[in-house]
Amino acid sequence: MKNKILIIAALVSLLLWTGCEDFLTQTNNTNPNQETFFDSDQAVEAATSPLYNYVWYTFNEKFYYGMGDGRANNITARWSDYIYPYTNLTETALSIGLEDAWGSLYSVVAQSNNVINNIQEFAGPTVTEEARQTAIAEARFMRGTAYWYLGSLWGKAIIYERTSDLVNNSAIPPHRVTDVMEFAIRDLEFAAKYLPATVATKGRVTRYSAFGMLSRIYLSMAGLTSEGAYNGQNIATDFNRGTRNSYYLDMARKAAMKVVNESPYALMENYGDLFTYENNNCKEAMFQLQWLTGSTDAIGWGANQPIQAFFGWSTLVADGTNWGNATYTSWDLVRTYDPQDRIRRHNTIATYGAYYPELYKKGGGYTYGVTEEGYEDRCNIKKYVIGTIDDNGVSYKQSNGLNTHMLRLAEVYLNLAEAILGNNASTSDATALTYFNMVRERADMPTLSSITYEDLHYERRIELAMEGQYWYDLVRRGYYQQQEVVNYMNNQERNAGYEYDETEDVEYVKTSDGEGVATAEVKHLTLPVSDVDKGKNPYLEGTPEAYEFTEEKITDLY
Amino acid sequence: MFAQNVTVTGTVSDNRGEPLIGVTVQIQGTSTGTVTDMDGNFSLPNVPLDATVEISYVGMRTQTIPLNGRSLLRVVLEEDTELLEELVVVGYGQMRRSDLTGSVVSVSEDAIKKSIPTSIDQVLQGRAAGVQIQANSGTPGASSAIRIRGINSLNATSQPIFVIDGVIVDSSTDSESSNPLSSINPSDIVSMDVLKDASATAIYGARASNGVIMITTRRGQSGEALISYDGYIGTQSMPKHLEMMNLQEYARHHNDRSDFSIVEKSSAFVRPDMLGPGTDWQEELYQKALMTSHNLSITGGNEKTTYAISAGFLDQEGIALGSGFRRLSLRGSMDNQVKSWLKAGINFSLSDSKQEVGADNDIIMNALRQQPMVAVYGPDGTFDGPEDVWMPVNPVGMASIRENYNKRHNFRFNTYLDATLADGLTFKTELSTDYNQGSFYYFEPSYRFGVLTNNTRTSRRTKNDTKYWSWRNFLTYNKVLADQHNVNAMLGQEMSESQWENLVGSATGFLSNTTHDLSAGDASKSSGTGSSGASSISSFFGRIFYSFDDRYLLTATLRRDGSSKFAPGNRWGWFPSLAAAWRVTGENFLKDHEVIDTMKFRFGWGGTGNQNVENWAYMALLSPRTTPWGTGVLTGNTANPDLRWETTYSTNLGLDLNLWQNRVEFIADVYYKKTTDLLLQLPLPAYLGSSGQGAASNPWANVGELENKGIEMTLNTVNIDNSGFQWRSNFVFSLNRNKVLSLDTDNSSIEKVYRVGSETNIVTRTTVDQPIGQFWGYRVIGRFEKAEDFYYKDANGNVQQVALPEGVSIGENGSYIGDYIFEDLNKDGKIDNNDATFIGNPEPKFSYGIGNSFSWKGFDLNIFLAGSYGNDVLNYNRRFIEDPRANNNLLKTVLDYAKVDRIDPNGPDDFRNLHLVGGDRRIPRLSASTSNGNNRVSDLYIEDGSFLRIQNISFGYTLPKRWVSKLALDNVRLYTNLQNVYTWTKYRGYDPEIGYMYGDALMSGLDYGRYPSPRIYTFGINLSF
Repeated sequence: MKNKILIIAALVSLLLWTGCEDFLTQTNNTNPNQETFFDSDQAVEAATSPLYNYVWYTFNEKFYYGMGDGRANNITARWSDYIYPYTNLTETALSIGLEDAWGSLYSVVAQSNNVINNIQEFAGPTVTEEARQTAIAEARFMRGTAYWYLGSLWGKAIIYERTSDLVNNSAIPPHRVTDVMEFAIRDLEFAAKYLPATVATKGRVTRYSAFGMLSRIYLSMAGLTSEGAYNGQNIATDFNRGTRNSYYLDMARKAAMKVVNESPYALMENYGDLFTYENNNCKEAMFQLQWLTGSTDAIGWGANQPIQAFFGWSTLVADGTNWGNATYTSWDLVRTYDPQDRIRRHNTIATYGAYYPELYKKGGGYTYGVTEEGYEDRCNIKKYVIGTIDDNGVSYKQSNGLNTHMLRLAEVYLNLAEAILGNNASTSDATALTYFNMVRERADMPTLSSITYEDLHYERRIELAMEGQYWYDLVRRGYYQQQEVVNYMNNQERNAGYEYDETEDVEYVKTSDGEGVATAEVKHLTLPVSDVDKGKNPYLEGTPEAYEFTEEKITDLY
Repeated sequence: MFAQNVTVTGTVSDNRGEPLIGVTVQIQGTSTGTVTDMDGNFSLPNVPLDATVEISYVGMRTQTIPLNGRSLLRVVLEEDTELLEELVVVGYGQMRRSDLTGSVVSVSEDAIKKSIPTSIDQVLQGRAAGVQIQANSGTPGASSAIRIRGINSLNATSQPIFVIDGVIVDSSTDSESSNPLSSINPSDIVSMDVLKDASATAIYGARASNGVIMITTRRGQSGEALISYDGYIGTQSMPKHLEMMNLQEYARHHNDRSDFSIVEKSSAFVRPDMLGPGTDWQEELYQKALMTSHNLSITGGNEKTTYAISAGFLDQEGIALGSGFRRLSLRGSMDNQVKSWLKAGINFSLSDSKQEVGADNDIIMNALRQQPMVAVYGPDGTFDGPEDVWMPVNPVGMASIRENYNKRHNFRFNTYLDATLADGLTFKTELSTDYNQGSFYYFEPSYRFGVLTNNTRTSRRTKNDTKYWSWRNFLTYNKVLADQHNVNAMLGQEMSESQWENLVGSATGFLSNTTHDLSAGDASKSSGTGSSGASSISSFFGRIFYSFDDRYLLTATLRRDGSSKFAPGNRWGWFPSLAAAWRVTGENFLKDHEVIDTMKFRFGWGGTGNQNVENWAYMALLSPRTTPWGTGVLTGNTANPDLRWETTYSTNLGLDLNLWQNRVEFIADVYYKKTTDLLLQLPLPAYLGSSGQGAASNPWANVGELENKGIEMTLNTVNIDNSGFQWRSNFVFSLNRNKVLSLDTDNSSIEKVYRVGSETNIVTRTTVDQPIGQFWGYRVIGRFEKAEDFYYKDANGNVQQVALPEGVSIGENGSYIGDYIFEDLNKDGKIDNNDATFIGNPEPKFSYGIGNSFSWKGFDLNIFLAGSYGNDVLNYNRRFIEDPRANNNLLKTVLDYAKVDRIDPNGPDDFRNLHLVGGDRRIPRLSASTSNGNNRVSDLYIEDGSFLRIQNISFGYTLPKRWVSKLALDNVRLYTNLQNVYTWTKYRGYDPEIGYMYGDALMSGLDYGRYPSPRIYTFGINLSF
């Protein structure tokens, strides 16, 4: 009897679980499902927030200044192996940091693509059309900006709009730099059309951010094309022709004028205020990377601002790691400062005797070279160094919450002046002068009555020094004055030693020639692709191919 | 009738002459009987002279002796070898070894005892053919890489599963230092059976493709309780130090470097000869370490109930500061014959372990790289540090002050009901649960080591809870028909689920270094995260075994598994197997052969699965991220909805041969395995957004096919066995070759990169028609010794320049005299990624183990050697400590860097006027430039990792029974054990046994700061009563 009961029990239990598809269905309590998540405007907005930080993290950590300033010789970094190969022009496909830089920009591309695709496919009917368009436009702003960097740096890039399309066939040839720029322009033109003019959340980009960015990219495109709007054929081939495509110069002017005439952005009154924690997302900032405040143990990695660790030169001015004694101002930048340009110099680089009340507050402020000795033979970088936690309450090891400037109004003013100057030797155009001089006046510099390329060159370099811009200025110039740029790079006295000498106009004197620098050549205007990715895709070395654009171009922007 | 009765007396001993205690002596056909005393003596009164006495003892062959009028007996009992090896644990049941059709290798309790393991995986090394074990790290409590018959899967988990008394425990881990098996006390184990071929493992279906290791723990036996104690104490030491520069040498080299503008001159190094030796950081970090272990067990029971209880304690300090492992374990089991037809039992284990993991790879590397002028302690007794922010922290200081350990609590139980429903038909239901609680503790105090300071005190606490449960029901039918047809059929069902939860809290803002709990920090500067999840498997299975006359054996199994890790539609997989064996010695022509005792051929085929992918890999998920504007979401992974089972089909042919009364036992197997639908997380190129903090994780995919084939042999011999002296040998040999058959990825290849700091390199590449995970890099074919070396004459007699790295030209800032010449494989005149090639294979050509044991009168000596031949190691450490440019401390060999001098002392500083005037061929010139990429990953860093190691020597003495019985003891053995005694190898790093980085099958043999395995001397005692 008992046996029979057991047999039955056994068989029943076996049968019970025969249809157990339910048992194999588990639910994820940690990660939202992308197919169901986008059911409100807030959810859609949440998808673009990380595009302002996490995806840019690796770029920001080292490459922002390592390439933007290091390569262009604003920085001397003889012992920082992620900068000096680029400063010394000795980088190879194996150079440290190359893979990271390349990868970080593509992580912006990939995640922006994901946002665009997810919202297009999964944003439900409860999401307003406006929120949908804004989010896609924001993602395209990021993607376009990243492609501009990629095109400028490598002279080619792989354009794609969906990672899964390439998962099974990722070894494809790269696309031409002109197509990359065109792709970036189309992204930003879309952003300019669909982003709102003002935003509820401070720090998010607006349509004017997009116009500002466009003014920069059009200037690049003006050098890369011969005449008229880009059609895949009008690619410039003479890189020493000395002139740019007036069509894109005019586009740059129009885009900058949009910002000038319509946008709510305005210059900050004090140059130094641009680089303080309190002025994150200030009225001049058109696009900043948005960082969290707190220690990396509390906020994790990826939304922390670590630049101070690389620029800070002592434990009195920055918390924890201070690698600034291997990454400091180049002799070439020190000597370039106009002796009158003290405000910008003071807030960009630390020079002997400079007094910073905001640093080392408990010691009554910090006087460079005096509070601590041994800094006569270098000028450390001040921008992005805002002191210790005792000074500001926000500095932690490799995290100080200071936003990174990616685009600010002063640059758009200078873009405007550059666009108006165009192919002329100089300009006295009133608009150009107005905005150009506004930048100078803020820095307490005398106004000019006519602008030459040299004036612009100085102004851009000094205004935006240590903001990761100067190298792109040189690259852009190299599109039509290639030899001039190469020669210029060879005369920058890279790695030269210098020391404090108050009798000199610039207060410093050169003490030794630089060593270890290779002779600049045309090839140095673009970077090699890292060995790692070339190893995975041999086509990266081949000739870039044309990209087939399918989307209708936006024509009603201006 | 009045029969004449006498008192029968006698002694019982074993074949070595040792008296046996507790031997049952019984008059056949009656209940009259007794047991032997301490001296093996017995006395039975009132026995009829024509009676027959039956003498039986566990593990011995029972003897029946007709008295035939005698009243004094001297009985020598022989070991019952057949009985001892009779049962082998297979999935969901046991089988007689002679009935096996699959390939199963067993490791006995004896071997476990002789190797002083702290974790069960260490026992298998060199002892089981076809099983390759490599310690991933020498840190106490670390994991081992266990590979059964090569690597079948390319994903991170090609570890076998362990089935401990029926409970499946996954041995895979993605960290070298944590070991899921470390919660098991090896002294609780009585046998380990390794199921190797698919016909044996297929019964575990979905999870068995990497093999199954069955572990049986101690259970009680009826009879008087047996209490035994086993304890040892040992010291451990560092077997080898690397020859690093001392302070004088470092200073000289520093001065040389400053001559080349690589570094600024240091006023401290003006007179190197005036300096002392400086700090020997290896001496400071490594120590002699203590190890103790105590185990106590009690077993016993009666006919109805048996039980076993054991407790263990292990405390192992690490040979590097900041490491150590401690474990407390408790185990109990009870089996009951509840009714005549029903058995029930329970078996549980508890363990509580703590592992100090402060000496991680970074600390090991720091001890090598730290400059010798840095003192360990400053004048005030606090830890000192470098004056250079780019130098590593004081490794001794860091290992001493940083809190970095984990605790693991494990509770595992298994309970069953076993009912006999009818003659030969049983039903068993088993429920098993495994609870794990892992906690990680990390506190970084504030410190100032020279210029390296930390002001932010940080605490991090992590709690991981996992629960695994499974419920199995199976019917077994066993019947012998007509004395010749033996049938055993099994049909069952199983369901299991793994659940996990974790919480991570971290805080800063601590006011002191003394209190580390999160609450002592600033709540506004704290964070908490957590996640949870589960996965489940449902299975149905059956097995039929049939044998005819013990000569023809046949086993067939079939299993169907469903896994929650795949999308509906791809969840279910079939795993069949079929095996046959022919016992030739059962045939008339070989029956009772003089030489051949057993000869058996086995043949099997089967398929097994692998479902080791990340949960949810089939669907795209969003990953929440904190942003200044509240929670944001990023795409967390690239989904692959088509993901399906990986399946390994294997074929095995085996031979079992026993000769000369089992004095020679030979087992040989050849196998061929083919894995299809290989599961792999694709290493997408960086341009697909796969790198950086904001990246989505790469998709998992079924990417191709892989084969493994090999031979394995075991030879056990009794060389000498007379007059109490016995010499046994065993030899184990494994050979495996693997090859990728197809890959659906781009270039049909998989590249693995390794990252140190901000430097990323491809280190291994796996491609079609090649073994997996081979090292990838450049070939160094020489060094530019003189100007002529930059040129060569081509076939047409034209002078050509030797290929230089892409974009680099001859010059001090490019390639120069004293730089390496790399091979231009594609002859395109430049060195670039197209010139990288396979430079080494981490897989050994073969591996082997040799054991010899001698015993004589109570003395026993065991010598065990393990070896590996033909495996390459990528000595990644040397890229950092043999780079003459580097500011960190370097190997002494670097002093012999390529010295460049002018040919004409008054001539120009042009390469045409330079030549090399000495230096080790392996070391390049000193240069401020890195353009030539001298320390790129190249064959220069590939070393022969072949080794032969005296794994252990143990020597023991079992005290004569006569002596110990006076102390009321049963058995006393004293022993000493030397482990990791000596290693013959050409490898220049610490230890040629490298294991796998992150447990990754494609990251084998890469040595970067691996914690070396210690040399251990132990002394122990074993007693029972």
